Amino acid sequence: MVDNNSTSNSPAESQTHNPDGNLPSESGVSIDSLARKVQESLSLAKRHKFWETQPVGQFKDLGDTSLPEGPIEPPTPLTEVKQEPYNLPSLYEWITCDMDSEETCNEVYALLTNNYVEDDENMFRFNYSMGFLRWALRPPGFFKNWHIGVRVKSSKKLVAFITGVPARIRVRDTVVYMAEINFLCVHKKLRSKRLAPVMIKEVTRRVHLENMWQAAYTAGVVLPTPISTCQYWHRSLNPKKLIDVGFSRLGARMTMSRTIKLYKLPDSTATPGFRKMESHDVPAATRLLRNYLSQFLVAPDFDENDVEHWLLPRENVVDSYLVESPETHEITDFCSFYTLPSSILGNQNYTTLKAAYSYYNVSTKTPLLQLMNDALIVAKQNDYDVFNALDVMQNESFLKELKFGPGDGKLHYYLYNYRVNHVLRPSELGLVLL
Amino acid sequence: MDDSPQLFQFVQSVLIGVIFSFLLAKLISVVVSFREENLSIVRGDSVEKELKPSSSESMPIIDDSENSGVSVVEPLVIERANLDTVIDGGGGGDGDDDADSDDDWEGVESTELDEEFSAATAFVAAVASDRLSQKVSNDVQLQLYGLYKIATEGPCSVPQPSALKMTARAKWQAWQKLGAMPPEEAMVKYIAIVTALYPTWATGSTSKIKGGESSDATSGYNKGPMGPVFSTFVYEEESGNELKMDAIHAFAREGDWENLLKCIESGVPVNSKDSEGRTALHWAVDRGHLNITELLASKNADVNAKDNEGQSPLHYAAVCEREAIAEFLVKQNAEINLKDNDGNAPFDLCDMKWPLLQHPVA
Repeated sequence: MVDNNSTSNSPAESQTHNPDGNLPSESGVSIDSLARKVQESLSLAKRHKFWETQPVGQFKDLGDTSLPEGPIEPPTPLTEVKQEPYNLPSLYEWITCDMDSEETCNEVYALLTNNYVEDDENMFRFNYSMGFLRWALRPPGFFKNWHIGVRVKSSKKLVAFITGVPARIRVRDTVVYMAEINFLCVHKKLRSKRLAPVMIKEVTRRVHLENMWQAAYTAGVVLPTPISTCQYWHRSLNPKKLIDVGFSRLGARMTMSRTIKLYKLPDSTATPGFRKMESHDVPAATRLLRNYLSQFLVAPDFDENDVEHWLLPRENVVDSYLVESPETHEITDFCSFYTLPSSILGNQNYTTLKAAYSYYNVSTKTPLLQLMNDALIVAKQNDYDVFNALDVMQNESFLKELKFGPGDGKLHYYLYNYRVNHVLRPSELGLVLL
Repeated sequence: MDDSPQLFQFVQSVLIGVIFSFLLAKLISVVVSFREENLSIVRGDSVEKELKPSSSESMPIIDDSENSGVSVVEPLVIERANLDTVIDGGGGGDGDDDADSDDDWEGVESTELDEEFSAATAFVAAVASDRLSQKVSNDVQLQLYGLYKIATEGPCSVPQPSALKMTARAKWQAWQKLGAMPPEEAMVKYIAIVTALYPTWATGSTSKIKGGESSDATSGYNKGPMGPVFSTFVYEEESGNELKMDAIHAFAREGDWENLLKCIESGVPVNSKDSEGRTALHWAVDRGHLNITELLASKNADVNAKDNEGQSPLHYAAVCEREAIAEFLVKQNAEINLKDNDGNAPFDLCDMKWPLLQHPVA
């Protein structure tokens, strides 16, 4: 299924197949170690039959500046977009997941909690909360039918999930309507059923039906072709727990006692006027963010509705703080993080790792270092175990100094059907996907 | 009569053929009835091992010309029997935290065959660009293509490409002519062809599938195909740490009771210090080994030994939140008012504010 031209901009095109009748490796869900070994031994160029058929930047075009930046393929007339969903194996059926429904939300939550992304050693698994999922999937202008489930016809059990949400993302001077694709998850018991490619195709089809032709997504693997490659950094807030659960390790020459001292934070924040964002701050925060994000080559184009949705604090989902000058009452600085707990697998003493993820931060008057230290302090006060940040935007300037350590996770950013002519440095990227 | 041996042979072979067909039909009907009655026969590991298709041995070889009709069909049926019985043969590990009833997964979840098929397709993908295309005829490639489409998408339901598109049309025909072949059968045949072409393709994979399958299965998925990444700290060996320590400290740190005891009995001073002034007791408390702490105390370790920062084992217990150990040390007359070089008593460093560290007078 992967080998046909899966953009399917026209039904006729979708029937052209590659000549070998083989399964390209990017199905990714391939469960067998042999499969992986074989794939890993191959050069990148050979591994991506699926993506080579897609309108994405290709490896062979890297560094070719003669190609124009912008859409790779023009939009197709909507009447030529495939109207019916892609075929699933006969035991399954497509459903639209209504996240307003408590029952559906529960099902999605259960699927992700038991089957979503884990670390390399299978010690942790993301445990996005239901509040988080509702927040992430219902931004202004969201499309319900971009929340796609696959269930077993007979038992009605939800076994796979993928989503898109609309976003305006600016690439250099152009604001592009895109879909942010996320939460692709296939039940562990179905990992070699090759559902992922057809799910990607189906969400692409539904995005096209809304007359959108670009998408943004991230992955831990290298596909054709990242617009940027970022790294995760971690700041211990509760080092003893992180060591006990295996998130970090204690060197043989290091004592727990000294490690705890090293990561100790003050009891209260340092910046005068540092407080939680409230709804009346939306206009000021929007101005601050728009101005700040304009310096990055790729960044979201936030309006007040977006800021109200994405950044107004929601308990245990997203937190935003800002600095209101005690004299002028001007809003001068802003920082935010989202809450993404993980299940700790197979530890007797702990079940949940509570992690804060740096989101959007703006400093104009308060030094960024001090602002982020205050963010660490409020995170610590609220019992987070670790504060994570990518090296995007200006984050690199505070990571080392605030005792973040490098993580083993690389995050690659991708755009679908949009060519960017050079690979961005993380510091040129102003986008955080959840 | 001259003919009689031949006739006899003929009759014999007909009889064998009839018996075989009967057995085959019986087997098929058994398999089908298993399906219909929704019987899940097998969960245990033992049966899984017995029935697990070993690709290099029991796979049909398609160009084994002699009696190919039989050799292809027979393993196929066995294969399908395996498929139906080994359906829950994941061996545990994955998905156990999910409280599904097994019935939900009958005929739904990934099977051994799925996995083997995935491996075969991956292998084909891997060799396609070079070896396969040279060695394999166009016909076989088309055959693989058709089987692949059946296995992954089911019967061909798309319109025939125009006659001008030669390749597309040939592929469409390869897919279409397989009609309503069940996907499992297509997988088995696909694997058979790959095995015939490359008898050793699966070498080494079977053992890997058997051992630690579930962890392999999940780890392959961790990083793909798209979405966020779970990152943990990169382990960095501290550089520039000039700490010098002796075996006694390392044994205490690792909780190695036996060697620590030997060490002490061989005459190593129990209060000897590392280059930071820490004793074995500091290390035992730091790592939370209550039994080692008790052992050292019984060997008259100094419970009030100070490291270079002026901290006693009780300071360590307070900082590291080792409550049971702190309690034990206090019982061993550890000094609760001992101040470190910064002027802090253990209580001052204790986030938990254990009463046991507070002076009764206060």
